[in-house]
Amino acid sequence: MRWLRFAVFILIVTVLQASLLDIVAVTKLNIRPNLLLTLLVFFAIYCNTTDAIITSFAIGFVADISIASAMGSQTISFGLFGTALAYLHRVIAIRKMPYQSLAIFITGSLIGALAHLLALLKGQAAISNIYTVILGTALYSAIVGPFLFLPAAWWMRIKTHRFSRH
Amino acid sequence: MVKWSNGYQLPITSYQLLIMARKLIRVSRRMLFTWFMLAGFILLFAPQNLTNNFQFAFASLFRWPLAVGRNISLFTRTWQSRPGITNRRESEYENYIANLTEQLHSERQLVEKLTRMRKRFGLQGADLIPADVVTASIGGAHSELIIYCRKEHGLAKGQFVLEDNSIIGTISDVWARNAKVRLFTDPASKIAVRIGKLNIDRVMQGSGNDSAKISQLSTKHNIKVGDHVLARKKPGFLDTSLIIGTVATCTWDKQNPLLWDITVKPVCDIERLNSVTVIIMNPQE
Repeated sequence: MRWLRFAVFILIVTVLQASLLDIVAVTKLNIRPNLLLTLLVFFAIYCNTTDAIITSFAIGFVADISIASAMGSQTISFGLFGTALAYLHRVIAIRKMPYQSLAIFITGSLIGALAHLLALLKGQAAISNIYTVILGTALYSAIVGPFLFLPAAWWMRIKTHRFSRH
Repeated sequence: MVKWSNGYQLPITSYQLLIMARKLIRVSRRMLFTWFMLAGFILLFAPQNLTNNFQFAFASLFRWPLAVGRNISLFTRTWQSRPGITNRRESEYENYIANLTEQLHSERQLVEKLTRMRKRFGLQGADLIPADVVTASIGGAHSELIIYCRKEHGLAKGQFVLEDNSIIGTISDVWARNAKVRLFTDPASKIAVRIGKLNIDRVMQGSGNDSAKISQLSTKHNIKVGDHVLARKKPGFLDTSLIIGTVATCTWDKQNPLLWDITVKPVCDIERLNSVTVIIMNPQE
């Protein structure tokens, strides 16, 4: 794993997520794709399990500092479900784009729900239709996510066509 | 050189050294996961004023790229028209007129009561501090802005934030170079308000989705869609009532049909803001 490349890549994506992604927001709920969620699934699929655990928590932490949320909620949610996905990938191959989309959608929904519950645990109030926002974001990310795997693989120098389970 | 027990010394390359170091600090996946989870829970249960520093540090470090990205985003959004809000200049004038109307109403009350109280006029005695918007989180679980404004200007928690002549929220956290604005649409925001000419105070709570709710208001009061909602004056923070939004929907409360369930929408396009003004009453010289 090229950690310096990973750090630079995550920072660039985080800045894009926090500023530029409003352009592609849809509906009145301002639903945007979650690039960090896409990267979480990417690293869980294409890295070995140890690297996937580290990247999941690191992505969760940057999600915490870039999104106005209860600090720690995203770190725990991303870390937990990123690790689970990495272990799942050892059993079930997630190679085809529809499967990758499905993985992004399910992981995004679970991460959003857990982060919301953790924020409630911390005593933070939530909007009335939070689950619509969570499902909308997961769906939007699932649609665009697999197309971002190729540039991510190019930047990280990861060969996506070589299939292996670590 | 590596010295073995039998006295031999062998040369060692940096690569071999790296492999040895890796073996020495090898941590099992289970332990790695446990440590990270523990760190996550520490972050979750740490006091918010401490953890906010991470978010402020991110906003400060990447202020320039965030601002560029946001400007591009705003530029593209100007081409998209939003229903309900015509154009910014027009809404600014409408809000200005609404504020003037409210001031006129206050003056009439003064005359009616024949009091000789000193006339308070708008924000005459206040310091108005302009601040650029660094990041905006609108539409998700929270509605907040991080603004670039120095603490030395006299920023403090609870101060009202104004844009397009309407109140948009209050300062919720202050850092050395940044401050966090909790918009009135944020679920954690509670602001005392008054609807139209009704002389009754009610608390307006944010409900996300670019709106807020007013409850506990009896249906005997005549409320119409489009009525102005005014933030009540708050000693030390706001010396006069200012417009905060308009009534978007007004229906019977499902749980208690004797009460109104009122939804309030902002009177300015919060998503397009790139600068705001902080109202500092009684500024220190």
